[in-house]
Amino acid sequence: MDAINWHSVLFLLFALLTCVFALGVVFAGNIVRMAFYLVMSLSATAGLFFLAGADFVGAMQIMIYVGGTLVLLIFGVMLTAQGPWVSMKTRGGEWILAAIVGGSMLAVLLQTAFSVEAWRAPDKQAVAEIKQLEPTATPLGLGLLGVRVDNEKAPGYLLPFEIVSVHLLVVLVGAAYLARAKRRAKPADGE
Amino acid sequence: MAAWLLPLASFALIVFFGKHMGKAGVKAGYVATGAIGGAFVLSMISLVAWLNSADYSHVENHGHAAVTQQAGPSPISEAAEHNAELPKVISGDWYTLVQIGDGESFAPLKLTIGYYIDSLTIAMFCMVTLIATLIHFYAQGYMHDELHDFTDHEVTLADGTHLKRPGRYHRFFQYLSLFCFSMLGLVISGNLAMTFMFWELVGICSYFLIGFYIERHSASTAANKAFIVNRVGDFGMIIGLMALWGSLGTFSFGDTKDDHGHTSPGVFSQVRTEENNHRLETPTAMVAWAKSMGAEDPEECGYYLLIVAGLGIFCGCVGKSAQFPLHTWLPDAMEGPTPVSALVHSATMVAAGVFLVGRFYSVFTPEVLLTIAAAGTITLFMGATIAITATDIKRVLTYSTVSQLGYMMLALGVGGWFAGLFHLFTHAFFKSLLFMCSGSVIHAVHTNEMTEMGGLRKKMPYTACTMLIGCLAIIGAGIPFVIGFSGFHSKDAIIAQALNFGLANTNPLLSIFFYVAAGGAAITAFYMFRLWYMTFAGEPRNKERYDHAHESPKVMYVPLMILSVFAITVAWDVPGVSLNKLLEAARPAGILGEVEPGGEFALQRGQVAATIVVPDEHYPHHQHSHAIHNEANIVAFSTALAGFLLATIFYGWRKADPAEVKEQFAPIYRFLVNKWWFDELYDVVFVKPAHLISNLASWFDKNVLDWIINHLAKWTVVVAKIDDLIDRLVIDGLVNLLARCTYSIGDSLRSVQTGQLRQYVVFIVIGTVTLFVLATILLKYSMAG
Amino acid sequence: MAVGAILFVCGAVCMATKRNALGVLMGIELVLNGANINFIAFGSEYLQRGSGTSIGLDGQLIALFVIVLAAAEAAVALAIALNFYNNHQTIDVDQADDLHG
Repeated sequence: MDAINWHSVLFLLFALLTCVFALGVVFAGNIVRMAFYLVMSLSATAGLFFLAGADFVGAMQIMIYVGGTLVLLIFGVMLTAQGPWVSMKTRGGEWILAAIVGGSMLAVLLQTAFSVEAWRAPDKQAVAEIKQLEPTATPLGLGLLGVRVDNEKAPGYLLPFEIVSVHLLVVLVGAAYLARAKRRAKPADGE
Repeated sequence: MAAWLLPLASFALIVFFGKHMGKAGVKAGYVATGAIGGAFVLSMISLVAWLNSADYSHVENHGHAAVTQQAGPSPISEAAEHNAELPKVISGDWYTLVQIGDGESFAPLKLTIGYYIDSLTIAMFCMVTLIATLIHFYAQGYMHDELHDFTDHEVTLADGTHLKRPGRYHRFFQYLSLFCFSMLGLVISGNLAMTFMFWELVGICSYFLIGFYIERHSASTAANKAFIVNRVGDFGMIIGLMALWGSLGTFSFGDTKDDHGHTSPGVFSQVRTEENNHRLETPTAMVAWAKSMGAEDPEECGYYLLIVAGLGIFCGCVGKSAQFPLHTWLPDAMEGPTPVSALVHSATMVAAGVFLVGRFYSVFTPEVLLTIAAAGTITLFMGATIAITATDIKRVLTYSTVSQLGYMMLALGVGGWFAGLFHLFTHAFFKSLLFMCSGSVIHAVHTNEMTEMGGLRKKMPYTACTMLIGCLAIIGAGIPFVIGFSGFHSKDAIIAQALNFGLANTNPLLSIFFYVAAGGAAITAFYMFRLWYMTFAGEPRNKERYDHAHESPKVMYVPLMILSVFAITVAWDVPGVSLNKLLEAARPAGILGEVEPGGEFALQRGQVAATIVVPDEHYPHHQHSHAIHNEANIVAFSTALAGFLLATIFYGWRKADPAEVKEQFAPIYRFLVNKWWFDELYDVVFVKPAHLISNLASWFDKNVLDWIINHLAKWTVVVAKIDDLIDRLVIDGLVNLLARCTYSIGDSLRSVQTGQLRQYVVFIVIGTVTLFVLATILLKYSMAG
Repeated sequence: MAVGAILFVCGAVCMATKRNALGVLMGIELVLNGANINFIAFGSEYLQRGSGTSIGLDGQLIALFVIVLAAAEAAVALAIALNFYNNHQTIDVDQADDLHG
């Protein structure tokens, strides 16, 4: 075999991983196991990012999501654990309903996805000439500052950058406040 | 005219303010008396004015001329001339009440307030107002009991005590004033409709006055009786009215000139037309009416109509003047106070009937006149015989009134127009005098029964004297051919005319009038003096009452004296103003005799009963036939003397004992004492059936009609209940249903908000999917198409 | 093909609607990640570059933003959940039915 299309193989591998672990999250009964499966799924997603040429975003994914958010989730799980094996099972009837709803959505989306010609297969030509991918960090950073290097006509993302910063600030303050409400005596506060 | 309206004003005043006038309304008496006195003054003034007017004087001349003329053409022509002229009269209409229809096909029904003034009117006015004024004075004294609270001893209540009530002084004068107003209105009225209206008004006043003591059962039933009997007479009167109006088209007595200067003839002119020399002829209108009714002989039929009209009018007079058979109310009318009896039931109201006959004289055919005379005769005889046996002083006087009214009607019926009305005037004076005297006596001894009186001459000199004068007047005492009391002259005239009638008619039966008249004079004298002797002469029968008796106060006996003066003098022939001349001037045209070929003065043959001849009234005065007059004079005097002697024998000198006579003629006595059983007869014939019918009607109403109504009510309740049910169930149910539906919908919708987070997410997903699908489909179609 | 992954992740939305409390949070993360993958895929130069439908770098930028916002939102959600747990001693969302009508 001349060059096994490693790109495709890897893509398929990572995609499969993601899907499997996501399904595991759905079906796992234990919260802790759900959390672990989520970690694995998100890591596989990061791999997909790398494969698609978005190295900076992938790195970010691992750093923020896996390292930060998920750890936070696990903390929450541990703080709210009520007993060794308290299980909150969903009832059977609800499974069926969820299956119907989810299945219908899946069908709709798949049909949409496969109906667009452009999305069917990757660009053979581009795949063939895998050139050296430039690291995307610089262009992304510059883009955030409003300077675009690759595409002259595209707008800068300075404003969204600022907004998101403020947003993050607000979130921090709010979270801190909410956390503090715990120390008050009144339980009905902050709902 | 103001004289007429004054009492009306007085009445109005008293009605509204009577209660507040003085203590218990004593001032009401002053107002009423002042009003009637003023009316009297005005009447006198108008009398003077009348006398001075030009047309009047010729009557005097004629009177003299007739006497001095010898037999020959001159008296004939003079009589004819006298006959042909109309009496001086002022007539007209004041005010038209209502007018229905125009004069196209038939005369319009025109009801007016009109007047008809001639000498007769003036004379009546003077007489009525004078007597009324005197009686008002008298009543002020008599009714003084009513000024304070009055205990009526004739009324016992359920618990046995006598009724005690507040005095009704002012009310009495209020009724008196109303009565004067209506009487004067009747006298002055110018057409039949107005006469009828006032006729009824006078009847009502009589009802009020008789039933003045309304708490007494006897008084109230008497008032009812008076009015109802009057009404029966009025029924006939209405028939007469209708007959007249239906054919003649007018009610008014005299000719009326309307605004266009067109003279429409009144009733009198139509019956006696000028072309015919004022003979009584069936008016052309009546003949035309008969023709239109399809009669075979219109002339005769029209004549019958005239008879009907005359009889109808006379019917009313029968009721009002208490002739046979409608006389039963007058004795019971004595339940009213004595001034009422004096004014109303002796001088004025009962005279209204006679007055109407006199006024309407020209319309009466000889047949009708005969009927009038017959009724008068029966009444005369009946009244006199009952009066012999009555013991209540007022009853005697009442029957005397009935009898004298019979005299008047008799006189009018036999052609004595002047005699009848003359007697009316004189009777008014002395009868009211007699009543007032008796009132004075009753006031003194507090009883009506003559059996308890006696020897009052010493105690009550004034009353005794005046009553004596009255008695002499009524029996016709006087010196023949020279001078006498007033009754002498008038009764003389009546008897003369009755004799004239008897002689002029070939039918011997018709001379009964003369005999009855003469006999009646004797009976009159007998019972009047019986009354006087029993009351004033002899020994007192009841010591206690005798001791209590006293003379009446001045306000009561002064009118007595004035009246007695009049009673004596009113018939005298005073030059300038005398009743004779006044009445002659008012004589309707054409009722005196007309010259017939052969020199006969008699006239007025009836057409149906062609043997009736109504003779000329002046005939006896002519030299030709002075014999009649002389004979009548002697007869009148001797009968009166006979009666007087008889009474004196029985009661004055006590030579014969009335009790023995009573036993001897016991059945007759019973008949007389019970007033010829008239009241009982009427009771059985009329009163009992009326009660029966009314009981029947009441039973029907109670059981049938009330049953229906009660059941209707029950059904209504049932329907109401059903309605209620429907309302509650259906309508309210609807509303409630609506509310419940809304609530349940809201409730069910509420269950969507489960609060379950996951369900919310599911809904979001479903929504998203749906939107996605829809968008896809739309896009596909838009792109494809 | 990458799109297939997107689809799958979105299918995991179902999971998000079923579990309790923290499970819900994880579901949200999955959803967001699926969307991210999609964005990246669109921004990749391997997707029919030159057909005019590529969004190039924009895709990556967008994905970056999404990550940041997702993290922020996860923090807040966690705070709420912990608060909820403190007040009700449970993290069963089925029992968070105070908004029950």
